[in-house]
Amino acid sequence: MTTSVDLGCYVFGIVDAGARLSTPLDIPLAAGLRLVEHDAVAAVVSTPPADRPLGRASDLLDHDRLLADLVVSGTAVLPMRFGTVLPDDETVAAELLAPRQEDLRHQLEYVRGKVQFTVKARYEQEAALREVLAERPDIAALRGGDDAGFHQRLQLGERVVGALEKLRATDAPALLEELGGGPDHREHPPAAPDDVVHVAYLIAANESDGFVRRVEEAGRQRAGRIRIRLMGPSPAYDFVGDN
Amino acid sequence: MTSAAVAQRRGSYIDRPTPSSLADVVELILDKGLVIDAYIRVSLVGIEVITIDARIVIASVDTYLRFAEATNRLDLYEKGGKGLDELTASMAEKGASGKTKGAIGGAKEKVKEFVQGDDDEQEDDGSSGDGARRRPRSRQSASSARRRRSSNEDEEE
Repeated sequence: MTTSVDLGCYVFGIVDAGARLSTPLDIPLAAGLRLVEHDAVAAVVSTPPADRPLGRASDLLDHDRLLADLVVSGTAVLPMRFGTVLPDDETVAAELLAPRQEDLRHQLEYVRGKVQFTVKARYEQEAALREVLAERPDIAALRGGDDAGFHQRLQLGERVVGALEKLRATDAPALLEELGGGPDHREHPPAAPDDVVHVAYLIAANESDGFVRRVEEAGRQRAGRIRIRLMGPSPAYDFVGDN
Repeated sequence: MTSAAVAQRRGSYIDRPTPSSLADVVELILDKGLVIDAYIRVSLVGIEVITIDARIVIASVDTYLRFAEATNRLDLYEKGGKGLDELTASMAEKGASGKTKGAIGGAKEKVKEFVQGDDDEQEDDGSSGDGARRRPRSRQSASSARRRRSSNEDEEE
């Protein structure tokens, strides 16, 4: 299919004007990577593929990887939401950068020299379920194996979920306090009943090692009961755009 | 910092995926980042469908049934003779995620299906198909939205 429509600009994020971009050969979404500048700020844009829609798994990974590379190399960057496409470079400058230059500079200052770490803690499911059963005879009594009726299973599941919430009410605050992190963190509501915490931290890059050690220690103390997953350093995904 | 990312992989008490898995990236970046205004959101419609779906799955009765199943499954190997306390203790020691792993996490799997699904055109249900198919429109939308933008500007300012 040939088309005369503009290829458009895929926008990865916002950086300082004059920021150095290396050209990543192994990130297809970054084809034609360039800066579109307006005064002190610039957008990192590429030319998206013309022969297929965006939104593949590989596009998501590319988006994240390019931004993560920038952040790890010390560049202050405000990630755009995945999937942002504008018609052309002029539109990027005139409609994305120019009208909110002040705000973008402000936000760049906020994230400068910092990286995001994301901590997800989840109960080891089997251990947590056994804990619940040991403490709650009423729940243990509802177990029925395969021959349990629908309503009994529903009631069992509902009580188990409720019991996990109670466990979390104790475990989550304790873990959060141990991780510290000061004011720069964003808590997400649990996505599943056996989640303990899901929280993003904005950490000064030179304090990363100390933070990672705190997470390690928290994980060590909870081994076998709560599993901790640590992601980062990444761009400040959770700390931009609140205006 | 790069060296920290590598060095920590030997730490056995926490999971530290490098590079990040697709599921991690989905969770990390979807719904996040700068959004400029309504007209850019047009290009994001397909993605938002995915996240909304995931939340519905999480909130449903399905969750209860999954946990009931996981809980019921526990007594299958209890019949082997070990008492509950004993099992709890051995769990804590080996720290295994165990046989019930995988009973839960449906929502995340679902998101992964959606995201990966565009390669093989899967259409197992209406919403995932929509999510994938809406993408092609988005690029056109960007330019047509630009035209619309000029008419919207009066309201916005």
